[in-house]
Amino acid sequence: MRKTATLAALFLAGALLAPVVALADSTITAAGSTALLPLVKEAAAEYQAKHPDVKIAVSGGGSGTGINQVVAKAIDIGNSDIAAVGQPTLVDHKVAVTGFAIVAHPGVGVTNLTRKQLQDIFSGKTQSWKDVGGADVKITVINRPRNSGTRAVFIKTIMGDVPISASGLTEDATGSVVATVKTTPGAISYAAFAGTRGQGLTELSIDGVAPTDDNVAAGKYPYWSYEHMFTNGPPSPEISRFIAYITSNSDLVHKAGYILVRDMKVTETDR
Amino acid sequence: MAIAVPPRIKAVASRAHRSEFVATLLLRAACALVVLSIAALIAYLASEGTKLFTHDHVSPFEFLFSPVFNPEANHPGSLVFIVGSLAITAFAVFVGGPFGIAVGVLLSELAPRRFVDVMKPAVEVLVGIPSVIYGWIGLTLLVPLIRTVTGSNGFGLLAAGIVLSVMILPTIITLSEDALRAVPDSLREGSAAMGATRWQTISRVLLPAASSGLTVAVILGVARAIGETMAVQLVIGNAAVLPTGLLSATAALPTEIVQDMSGAQQGSLLEHALFSMALLLLLIAMGLILAVRLAVRRRA
Amino acid sequence: MAQAAVTSEAALERRRRGAAGRRLGDQVATGLLWAAAISVLVLLALFVGYIFFLGIGSISWQFLTSPPSEVTAGGGIGPEIYNSFYILIMTLVFTVPVALAAGIYLQEYAKPGLFQTVVQFSAESLATVPSIVMGLFGLLIFVYLFGWRFSAIGGALTLTILNLPALMRVTQEALATVPDSLREASMSLGATRWTTILRVVLPSAIGPLTTGVVLIAGRIFGETAALIYTAGVSVAAGRAAYDLNPFRPAETLAVHVWYTHAESVVPDVARIGNGSALVLLVMVLLFNVTARVVGRFLTYRFTRKS
Repeated sequence: MRKTATLAALFLAGALLAPVVALADSTITAAGSTALLPLVKEAAAEYQAKHPDVKIAVSGGGSGTGINQVVAKAIDIGNSDIAAVGQPTLVDHKVAVTGFAIVAHPGVGVTNLTRKQLQDIFSGKTQSWKDVGGADVKITVINRPRNSGTRAVFIKTIMGDVPISASGLTEDATGSVVATVKTTPGAISYAAFAGTRGQGLTELSIDGVAPTDDNVAAGKYPYWSYEHMFTNGPPSPEISRFIAYITSNSDLVHKAGYILVRDMKVTETDR
Repeated sequence: MAIAVPPRIKAVASRAHRSEFVATLLLRAACALVVLSIAALIAYLASEGTKLFTHDHVSPFEFLFSPVFNPEANHPGSLVFIVGSLAITAFAVFVGGPFGIAVGVLLSELAPRRFVDVMKPAVEVLVGIPSVIYGWIGLTLLVPLIRTVTGSNGFGLLAAGIVLSVMILPTIITLSEDALRAVPDSLREGSAAMGATRWQTISRVLLPAASSGLTVAVILGVARAIGETMAVQLVIGNAAVLPTGLLSATAALPTEIVQDMSGAQQGSLLEHALFSMALLLLLIAMGLILAVRLAVRRRA
Repeated sequence: MAQAAVTSEAALERRRRGAAGRRLGDQVATGLLWAAAISVLVLLALFVGYIFFLGIGSISWQFLTSPPSEVTAGGGIGPEIYNSFYILIMTLVFTVPVALAAGIYLQEYAKPGLFQTVVQFSAESLATVPSIVMGLFGLLIFVYLFGWRFSAIGGALTLTILNLPALMRVTQEALATVPDSLREASMSLGATRWTTILRVVLPSAIGPLTTGVVLIAGRIFGETAALIYTAGVSVAAGRAAYDLNPFRPAETLAVHVWYTHAESVVPDVARIGNGSALVLLVMVLLFNVTARVVGRFLTYRFTRKS
């Protein structure tokens, strides 16, 4: 009985002290875009190796999740492929640029698609690879969920007003998209360069332009976006230092598969 | 006092009474915590789950019956997910139900003690396997299998239905075995005395006698299936369209929640719609419990 | 005797065939039932065997102790295993006292009435809440309302509410195995109800109680949906992943299996997923076996003494 009472008292005390201790916890949490995830994860690993007293926890969830959670102050840094609309408290830090590739299962027999063909495929009008000059395999469209920045940029730069058909499969993140396309014959989807390179998938050219960093920097390849790290209000000194580590470290950016912001020959204001 | 009680005994007695009083108080406090938890849960979910109707002025009719799920355009019709949930649950019940009852019958009536001693732990292990593992097996074994056999992409109702059937098997097996064991032996003896074969006894006497217990088993299997998230989400394909057949990719209420919750902005229509789905799930689950209570009462 | 002689040959033949038909039906039905049971056993063996086969190649000391990698190959699951146990122990610390107390009250004290009905109904309702819905509740309360963000303790408290009904039922069933004669004997010696429970009933019920607790521990270990939105999907790097701070994100092994498939961009996703699934399965099986063994041992020790 006394033990129960003691436990109950401890529990209550803990619950009351909790908010205080929570303020004292100094883990930097970052979450959001899975397109940006490789870069932030790599940066966090390197940064923590150099500064052992700093703790950084990074996860995915999609650009929408990143923005949503940083607005709700559940995390410190929200990673996103898209600009945050209607969020005046968020401070934007553009850390890199990423291109996104249209990927397909090897064996579909096609290496290039026009924008119109892409729109027809993803809106459900074209059902077979045969209709675009490929093998006689049914097209399996794989989409990202609503909260995905990759999907939002895809709609903005490729689909335009053509609606994406709801009947495709949906995979949560860059990683699961790549895994599913690899194992599903006839599959087609979209993901960031960092996720698709070296995976053995067919990376399709759009209107004859190959998905390379140089083509993105030159503005010839249309499917790209800035990578944002949002903070709710001005970042703390520790977070500032971490973000600065990424923006000043061109080796890291290139090694992780991204493009430096300053290398871009074109700019966009709404990405 | 008429009898002089030695002070030491008086002290011990009153200390015992005091500790009894404190103990009872703490026990009741624990019960109160249980009540508080469910009350808070219902209150919070009801408040968030109805914002779709009060705040965003979406009609419940549209939410429940419209197949168009387009929250960006203010059309959160969730019929797709409701139908998806019902479809995979129905599959699981019609496949796993008879299977589970069959095994329950065997364990209760036909199997020797040694076999039951092997089977019981096996069923308990099946219960203990986490749902992510079921999902993982579904993803790496079942989906490619369906793909090879049928030529579709493997994801969809069939995969989710099969996974769910296996998951509710242990529940149905255990409960139907218990239901059958509860039937008094006098019925078995009476039936045998009239010359019935074992199977005739089972099918015409025991199963009807245990029917309310078997109904409970099935209802609880349904309850387990309706709320299952992880295993289903990995194999159902997550396409917000009404299923057209066993092989079409679709989505269910819990999988849609897990899919879009983290990305839904606080206060947005999508977030409210997801909470309405959660509220719907909660109401269905609680409704099933009421059904169980009614089934039990009918037998008594 | 005379009657038997009158019965025609045809009628006897019909009766014999009818009996044979019923026997055949009996045999067919029995065969089907046995087939069903055997296939369940085969299914179980298949599942366990398949996970072993898939994952055994990933298991190594390095895999079990190193931190996860999100970009390059070669990541491990060390912190996730730690978090699984950490959250499990925290959850049990919260759940066992409350569930034990409530279960004792319902089984030993409660008289039929409003309070008892309300508590019983609450427990039953709580038991039906799907884990994803519980996870959303935890998100609202612990992450947003309390402001704890993603934390191990938020996850543990969510799991506590989720498992209260199960542990209450275990308590009640364990207490029911203790014969009333023990209670009466104790009270006739002058002990109060509470003393009786504490010193006589509980020790006698310790076997089934422990079995139930360990089985539920296995279920907690495998829980995913309720933890994604409360304890989060990330771990801090380096030694910080192994600290005792309950207010930090704490991805568990079960969540990691899901997360690996859904989010990871490493080239060896399959290897990590398979290895994590295997470790998770082995742990759950261990919990299952331990529950039974320990329960039987404790019952033997405690009931022999009394």
